[in-house]
Amino acid sequence: MGLRKYIVKRGIDTSITFFIIIVLNFLLPRLMPGDPVSRLIGTRVQMSTEERIALLKRYGLDKPLHEQFIVYLKGLLRGDLGVSLSRYPTPVTEVLMYGLPWTILLVGTSTILAIIIGTLLGIISGWRRGEKLDVANLAVALATYSTPVFWIGMLLIFFFAIKLHIFPVAGAFSPEHVAPGFSLTYVIDVLRHMVLPIVALTLILYGGQYLIVRNSIIETLTEDYILTARAKGLDDRAIMFKHAARNALLPAVSYAAIEIGLIVAGAVLTETVFSWPGIGTIIYGAVLDRDYPVIQGAFFIIAISVLLANFIADIVYGYLDPRIRYG
Amino acid sequence: MKKLLGPRRTAVLKKRIKNFWYLYKSNKMGMIGLSILLFFIFIAVFAHYIAPYDPYEFSLDVNAPPSWKHPLGTNDAGQDIFSELIYGTRISLLVGFLAAFVSTFIGGSIGILAGYFKKLDGILMRITDIFLVIPSFPLMILLAAYLGPSINTVILVIGILSWPYTARVIRSQVLSLRERTFVESAKVIGASDFYILRAYILPNVMPLLFANMVLNVSGAIVSEAGLAFLGLSDVTYKSWGMILYFARIRGGFIRGAYWWWVPPGLCIATVVLAFTLVGYALDEILNPRLRKR
Repeated sequence: MGLRKYIVKRGIDTSITFFIIIVLNFLLPRLMPGDPVSRLIGTRVQMSTEERIALLKRYGLDKPLHEQFIVYLKGLLRGDLGVSLSRYPTPVTEVLMYGLPWTILLVGTSTILAIIIGTLLGIISGWRRGEKLDVANLAVALATYSTPVFWIGMLLIFFFAIKLHIFPVAGAFSPEHVAPGFSLTYVIDVLRHMVLPIVALTLILYGGQYLIVRNSIIETLTEDYILTARAKGLDDRAIMFKHAARNALLPAVSYAAIEIGLIVAGAVLTETVFSWPGIGTIIYGAVLDRDYPVIQGAFFIIAISVLLANFIADIVYGYLDPRIRYG
Repeated sequence: MKKLLGPRRTAVLKKRIKNFWYLYKSNKMGMIGLSILLFFIFIAVFAHYIAPYDPYEFSLDVNAPPSWKHPLGTNDAGQDIFSELIYGTRISLLVGFLAAFVSTFIGGSIGILAGYFKKLDGILMRITDIFLVIPSFPLMILLAAYLGPSINTVILVIGILSWPYTARVIRSQVLSLRERTFVESAKVIGASDFYILRAYILPNVMPLLFANMVLNVSGAIVSEAGLAFLGLSDVTYKSWGMILYFARIRGGFIRGAYWWWVPPGLCIATVVLAFTLVGYALDEILNPRLRKR
């Protein structure tokens, strides 16, 4: 199988999953026990009968399920994910689009940091297996990997914000001091707010990457070509980076894709504890308000993003490792 | 046939367990994990006798810092945190075990069916791969929100969304078991699929299923804590995650009442670490490829 055929195959798989996510997103609010209408458009007192009928019509809720599905699909094409119940009549898409850049900023930075730190420590640890440095690294990684991220967040806030006043307690910027915009003070303010959430998220994410790289290095070091490299008289540094690390990093690429679940869960909880204004905090607010369309829409956006990220990771992996394409 | 094999099989099983324990004992990390787990299980079982107070009982001693009377202080309703923590052990572990049982059962069944029956393999693994890609935690949040906060909902939601990894691992094990000679010879003498599954496949995947269940328990405890922290668990069952949730929304955290929120987080981290250590140790023993070279 060539690379092109492989991409087409992954593309078809991804499309099928995409369709299933769409169906799931349609069916869940309609098939759960209870009244779907009140879940989808709410039952607020201040809503007039005309408004209610207009909403029912807009989502086709007066029609049978299969016709509703067509209405739903047409809505999706326009980017219509329903109306927020707690911020009525703001569309769900608008609520979520406000949070998305904040989430991407937080998750992107932490993931990249976690991959870099995890990989470097993994290489060092694997190379020095069994030595003090390795044991200490391993203990720290296992500990952070097991700790709930929101609790790490609470510890960080407690020490660095409440006790020492070095960093702000919550939010992504201080609206009372600086106006959002592309000014230096605003950027610095956001950076100051970013530090603690990024530390928390990076701490729980790097462990997985570290463990897989470490194992992979240990396994690679038993290969014959490492022995050959040693026999050739290459120095440690050359063997480690040119021979061992290169081959050991392959499994780490696919592992990053598997970890997406952990990243998503970690991000939702980190945002909540830091009141970071991204999708996670929006979900938390929606849970408190029982704003079902927003939770449903957030799930949809996250599922689609994860699916895309997976597809990209698959292609990168297929490109890097020919065995995948032909296997 | 079953009667004939019966006593011999129990003897084999006994020997296997003995061998297994011999290998496990020499795994230092595994033993540390196991001791921690046994300690917490002991607390969970005997919570009634250990806890000095009823964790749901209000008192006038509100927001008290740690003292001889209340070793870990009290919360805003005057409830004893130390007692909450002890009863929380029971709830967190119980939710973890039950949810892990559900997910291991589903994942194990799907893995065995997919691995053994070639016709089912394609479709079952398709479904598994789809579930692997769909982010489970947001879906748990969504389902828990729709179904309303109840402890059963939380257990079920975590259980039915955490099985795909187990299914994959078990499937690959069954795939290799199916090709072994003892399965082939059973087929030749006319044993039914059901008999082969029960007599040969199931006993051989049991250890791996068990190892997976251990890892699933720690995953379930983390998920429960996360759901509870978002206010999606049952407020009448104060798990460790629930104590953290209360400490945050009732202002204990922002007021600096460290005795309220530090211990439950520490407990979650310790127990999850212990499960991870045990899980890795089991994996190392059951996967001879991983044993130390």
